[in-house]
Amino acid sequence: MKRFILAFVAAYIFIFFWGWLLNGVLLKDIYVQTPNLWRSQSEMMSLFHWIIIGQALIVFAFVMIYASGFAGGGVAAGVRLGVLLEIAAIGMRMGFYAVQPIPGKLIFYGSVSGIIEMIIVGAIVGAIYKPAVARTS
Amino acid sequence: MNWKKFFFAFIAAFGFIFLFGFLWYGKLMHGPHQEVPILWRTETDFGNHFSTLVFGHIVMAFFLTLLCARFVPAGGAGACAVMGILVALVYAGADMITFAVQPLTTKILWGWIVGVLIQFTIGGAIIGALYKAPPSNMTFVKERPR
Repeated sequence: MKRFILAFVAAYIFIFFWGWLLNGVLLKDIYVQTPNLWRSQSEMMSLFHWIIIGQALIVFAFVMIYASGFAGGGVAAGVRLGVLLEIAAIGMRMGFYAVQPIPGKLIFYGSVSGIIEMIIVGAIVGAIYKPAVARTS
Repeated sequence: MNWKKFFFAFIAAFGFIFLFGFLWYGKLMHGPHQEVPILWRTETDFGNHFSTLVFGHIVMAFFLTLLCARFVPAGGAGACAVMGILVALVYAGADMITFAVQPLTTKILWGWIVGVLIQFTIGGAIIGALYKAPPSNMTFVKERPR
């Protein structure tokens, strides 16, 4: 349980700063091209808690999946899970792209950065979380 | 891995996920979606991107099937439904972030969260019911003559 919480906190801190760096700094110019699709800065700040809860939920689900079927495989297993989940997320992004006039560039950069993000999240979780060792008599 | 069963489970999961998505997001949530028309493509534009929607669902169904088939040791509908719920939580988290940055209504947010939970729980259960991996601990040994 202690390692679960440690893995969750470490992965959450990374995902939070990565999200800020990517969406708040690096992709800022692409977001500006479609202002109608996004909330204003002040409106976004008033709903910031949804970003925190959403990221926490993603990291929680990640660590739970890792703990239930991947634990024991270490960093490599964490990275494998990260890649699997991110490719599934790319499927979701394609769904969004089909119904919303989001720039294709944003989907592409979001997916590439998503792969990097989830590989690092997987490595963090895999390095920290270790399954409980069965007691031997 | 039993590829024949995997393929059937994947096709069934894709069929369910796509059909449910059409009914839930396309029909049931049509009204709430129309409250923010600026966010969506026009009917003809959507038609031009329909293949992307289908491919996105294929990707989601394939990787859900792969997760259930390879990484749910117990197998079965119940265990894979739990995996489906966990994957749905990842999508629900992404929906919450989308709500914070796009002018969606709370009705749309909760509709998406409930929808994805139902979609992936049942999707996982279908995969678990159809896909049964051969037991990994089964070994065949020749009995010694006594």
